[in-house]
Amino acid sequence: MYMPAVEFHQARTLPEAFDLLSRCGASVQVLAGGTDLLVDLKAKRLTTDHIVSISRICELKGISRSDDILRIGALSTITELDESAHLDGVFEPIHDATKRMAVRQIRNIATVGGNLASAVPCADLPPVFIAMNARVCLSSRKGNRELPVDEFLLSVRKTALDQNEILTAVTIPAPPPGFGAAYERFGLREGNAIAVASAAVGLQIANDGRIQSGTIVLGAVSPTPKIASKASSLLKGQPPSEALFTEAGNTAQSESQPISDIRGTASFRKDLVAVLVRRALDTAVRRAVGEVL
Amino acid sequence: MSTIVTLYVNNERHTAVVEPYETLVEVLRDKLRLTGTKKGCNVGDCGVCTVMMNGQPINSCLVLAVDAAEATITTIEGIAQGGELSTIQKAFVSEGGIQCGFCTPGMILSTTALLERNQNPTDDEVKDALAGNLCRCTGYSGIMRSVSRCKNYQDDGTCTKPSHPLPNRDRSESDYRPSSAGDCTSVGVSLPRVDAADKATGRAIYTNDIALPNMVFGKILGSPIAHGIVKSIDTSKAEAMPGVLAVITGKDVPDTLYGVSPARYDEYVLARDKVRHVGDEVAAVAAIDERTAEAALELIDVEYEELPTVFDPYEAASEGAPILHERYDRNINTHVEQNFGDVEGGFAESHLVREETFTGNHIYQAPLEPHAAIATWDHDGTLVLYTSTQVPHYVQYMMAHVLHIPLGKIRVIRPTVGGGFGGKAETTPLDLCAAIFSKKLGRPVKMVYSREDMFHHGRGRHKQHMKFKIGVDRHGVIKSFASEIYLDGGAYSSFGVATAYYAGSVLPTLYRIPNYAYDGYRMMTNKPAAGAMRGHGVPQPRFAFECLLTMVADDLGIDPIEIRRRNAMMPNTLTVNEMDVGSCEFLRTLEAVSEKVDWTSKYGKLAKGSGIGIGCGGFVSGAGYCIYRGQVQLSHEKGREPFQKKSTFPHANAVVKISEDGTAALLMIAAAEIGQGSDTVLTQMCAESLGIPASRMRIRSEDSEISPLDLGAYSSRVTLMAGHAVSRAGVAVVEKLLPYAARILDCESSVIEAHDGRMFVRRDESRSIEWEEVARKYFNDNGPLVGTGAYKPPDGLGGDHKGSTVGTSPAYSFGSAVCEVSVDLETGKVKIDKFTDYHDCGTPINPMAVHGQVEGAVVMGASETILEDVQFDDRGRILNPNMHGYLIMTIKDAPEIFSGLVDSYEPRGPFGAKEIGEGSTLPVLGAVAHAIANATGVWIKDLPITPEKILRALSEKRMSAEATLADAKA
Repeated sequence: MYMPAVEFHQARTLPEAFDLLSRCGASVQVLAGGTDLLVDLKAKRLTTDHIVSISRICELKGISRSDDILRIGALSTITELDESAHLDGVFEPIHDATKRMAVRQIRNIATVGGNLASAVPCADLPPVFIAMNARVCLSSRKGNRELPVDEFLLSVRKTALDQNEILTAVTIPAPPPGFGAAYERFGLREGNAIAVASAAVGLQIANDGRIQSGTIVLGAVSPTPKIASKASSLLKGQPPSEALFTEAGNTAQSESQPISDIRGTASFRKDLVAVLVRRALDTAVRRAVGEVL
Repeated sequence: MSTIVTLYVNNERHTAVVEPYETLVEVLRDKLRLTGTKKGCNVGDCGVCTVMMNGQPINSCLVLAVDAAEATITTIEGIAQGGELSTIQKAFVSEGGIQCGFCTPGMILSTTALLERNQNPTDDEVKDALAGNLCRCTGYSGIMRSVSRCKNYQDDGTCTKPSHPLPNRDRSESDYRPSSAGDCTSVGVSLPRVDAADKATGRAIYTNDIALPNMVFGKILGSPIAHGIVKSIDTSKAEAMPGVLAVITGKDVPDTLYGVSPARYDEYVLARDKVRHVGDEVAAVAAIDERTAEAALELIDVEYEELPTVFDPYEAASEGAPILHERYDRNINTHVEQNFGDVEGGFAESHLVREETFTGNHIYQAPLEPHAAIATWDHDGTLVLYTSTQVPHYVQYMMAHVLHIPLGKIRVIRPTVGGGFGGKAETTPLDLCAAIFSKKLGRPVKMVYSREDMFHHGRGRHKQHMKFKIGVDRHGVIKSFASEIYLDGGAYSSFGVATAYYAGSVLPTLYRIPNYAYDGYRMMTNKPAAGAMRGHGVPQPRFAFECLLTMVADDLGIDPIEIRRRNAMMPNTLTVNEMDVGSCEFLRTLEAVSEKVDWTSKYGKLAKGSGIGIGCGGFVSGAGYCIYRGQVQLSHEKGREPFQKKSTFPHANAVVKISEDGTAALLMIAAAEIGQGSDTVLTQMCAESLGIPASRMRIRSEDSEISPLDLGAYSSRVTLMAGHAVSRAGVAVVEKLLPYAARILDCESSVIEAHDGRMFVRRDESRSIEWEEVARKYFNDNGPLVGTGAYKPPDGLGGDHKGSTVGTSPAYSFGSAVCEVSVDLETGKVKIDKFTDYHDCGTPINPMAVHGQVEGAVVMGASETILEDVQFDDRGRILNPNMHGYLIMTIKDAPEIFSGLVDSYEPRGPFGAKEIGEGSTLPVLGAVAHAIANATGVWIKDLPITPEKILRALSEKRMSAEATLADAKA
């Protein structure tokens, strides 16, 4: 269980990182927190000749909030995100993920960018980010571009990042009044267990109390977080009710495509999806109408 | 390309030449020699490598050293200042937060970081901060107490008061007398562990922390297939790899079979003909470093001829199944057939007979410290073996057997051991390969299992398939019991013969069963061999029995505690299978636990989703017989000795040597401290019998060359057996001193007593002299003041039937536990909220250590009931050989635990003591299963009780209810 022999490169600035990436050719991995990368390399799930560390690039750090946008630097650790005062209020649903991810030691070095760029199906941040309309900022020598998170994640361990491109930040628009979101996950153990299934919900309540629109995102039950579109469309124009949430949960269940593995069978995961979606909807609506923060 | 990296470690500037692939833990341990930071899983699952980097706790196995350049690091060595423990370290020492100590540095660093950012954390905040630090010993209770103590810590000396009052009773039956002045001063007191401060500061040295000069490293290659013939092995490419020093295969190891039970030695050090499970040892490499050795394994080409496989014990017994070993017909490794009383007659006269099938799970001990060994040969041909073992003597014996050298030429050193639980109760391929390599190379060789190796080469608990049948009268009194158990033994015997017998023999020690039959089959399958684990063979049958007894109680409308009262074992009983039960306060544990939890107001009255359940159990206080037969002698030359119903040599032996000035006593006994606290309780008992404070004792238990033989830490034997040996050694010293004291005090020897570091004239405390002065006088006249003590179990234990020795013991423990759970009926998730346990462990030597054992057993038992299972694919490969796939409870999962003791005194135990370590596991599984059944309305009869199984059972119940309703309507 040792790290394979690699060449290590430390980038201090983004341009330096772009240089290094292009110099290293195809066999290169970007190192941020390393909590996925080092494990994958040790377990030989990944091989690489070069590692480019971006951990010292200052411009990738820091969390800021302007009036209408939360910007999370890609190198922000999960702890930094979790403890950020900027999450108070409308961004509170992000705590549903950060508080239950992994453990303190991991959260202290694992980065927000890494949680997205690793593109692991059971990752916790992507579903809630998608439900909150987050976008990723990508940079390369060619320039900058932005993508919605669900378009960034292509399949298992595969993202829209080009060869020499780096994820620099995540931005989330501050939701308007009447918006609520929530994230529910199921792990086999209370502490340090990856999600067997998860569900995130973002919805907008109209002035008449009906759901104007909603997005239901399922985690760990397909190669990438899956927007349950049929279930989501059920919400539109409906007044919130337990019956509606149950129906949406059941519909989302039929839209999920889980696999069976050591943590549970596909059918168990489907059972969980229905429950998690219902519970996330319930919390999201409560938040939208200001019952809970 | 290597780089020079600067790190600021513990306020000191260090530079190190670092390779790009080296992680921080490797640099701290191997280059800076700061070995307090441990290596456990290497992938961030266990937290033993926790250090603070720039003020935040992190896993140092997940950080590249080059990437950490210029960082400020705090390791455990930087916490104590100027030799003074920090408040947090003191709290861990005094509150029982430390057992094996392997998780301790990480726990203390995580706690330190927490309290730096939050001086008054809530319990939930503490749990969140420590959830990344796994502990397998304490059940996290002692750790929670330690952290909460830190919040308002006051240094009140080293000794905390026992949290339970001690029974005041006549101890005249024991051969060690407390002083006439009254209570013991060392025994019965919750003294902190003697090794706690070393473990809290990173000073404790585990095998993998040792670096001998000129040392090299070995690694073992396991088979990738589950069954096959080794056709050829080409080692040339591996041998040609730079840094590789030697490669060995089956042809390089002695042509001697080894194992645990002498009648079933069936393993070679490395495969000579066949491989029988994935991971079966095929070859080994020695190289200049571990990394090179690991890489070289991939260059060994082995050609296999694959053979058909069998993974299920029932299939293994069927006609035409692939045979693993020619010598085991139909793959039956051990068949037990026991029949006591008139079992059929008992069923015939029963009012109710119920039959149920239960299935256990594949469990691994998962100690936090991986197995490790270092071998080196002295120039006179003596093998020196450092090994993380629970059984130094059996390792010595087995090394002698395989290597054909006398015991006297083998020195076994057991450094600090980071937990065992049965997983370190055998000689390992590491021990043997390291010795073979070291002989070949003339250099010390270190070999360490990776976490994955521990699953492939280690020996977990047997998965048992159990068909149980019970007959009771209308009052619930047991009339008859019959069981058939198939044990999944895996590919080799290991401890399995004993396991197969234990599975039947200990059940009748808890309840009075007049007619009893047991049919056991230990089957060979193409999986890693199963061995001994905490409660050896008994926990799964005990789980099944407890569930069945509760089901029967429900059938009859009798309260489940009441049915246990009606069948409870009584003191001084010879059981139906001829186990000799002496002291027994089982009834009182039932009464105490029932009262403590207010059972009658809760049972049957809780809301759906909340449950409460009872489970009971107990265990032997040391096996009545040694694992091998006959006397200690050259094992490979000795013929098979006939079985005798007595011990042919003492199982525990001790020497006490008093320092020349009389101020210190050195206790020597090769008992295995593995984290359970044996060094501490043995020190306490020896001090008590010497009449001096425990603080004047020192103990040397780690070196077979210094300390006399003790059989080791298994079968919960140490407190009773080694306790007798050390107490007798103490008495022997006092007897030598009596004439001297008598002369000084001008009285008869017979009226002198020693306690509290003085010698007194009985009933005249004004006439006394300091203990050390008498001892000093003795030395001046005679030279060394030494006492020896030895213990043999009583002769004649057990009946005359086949296998009658297994389950015999000088004494038995008893316990009752109540579990309270909440179950999410929609997801099946179980939260174990609370455990209340009362135990009869005789009279405790160290109550804090006793409670620590109970708390650890509760969490380990609960964890294996709801979480743990080694999973295999259809080709026999383990799917979860790591700590993120094989889940054990974290501090967030652990219940709140109350551990209580009932007054008890065991005449056959030292100072009235019996066992606690293994017996406390046994009530747990049944209590959890019952609580879940109580909360959900469905019994899950196969372990582990996962959310998925609960949901499935609930849905089946719903469907069958609907079907019944539909039928009724039709």
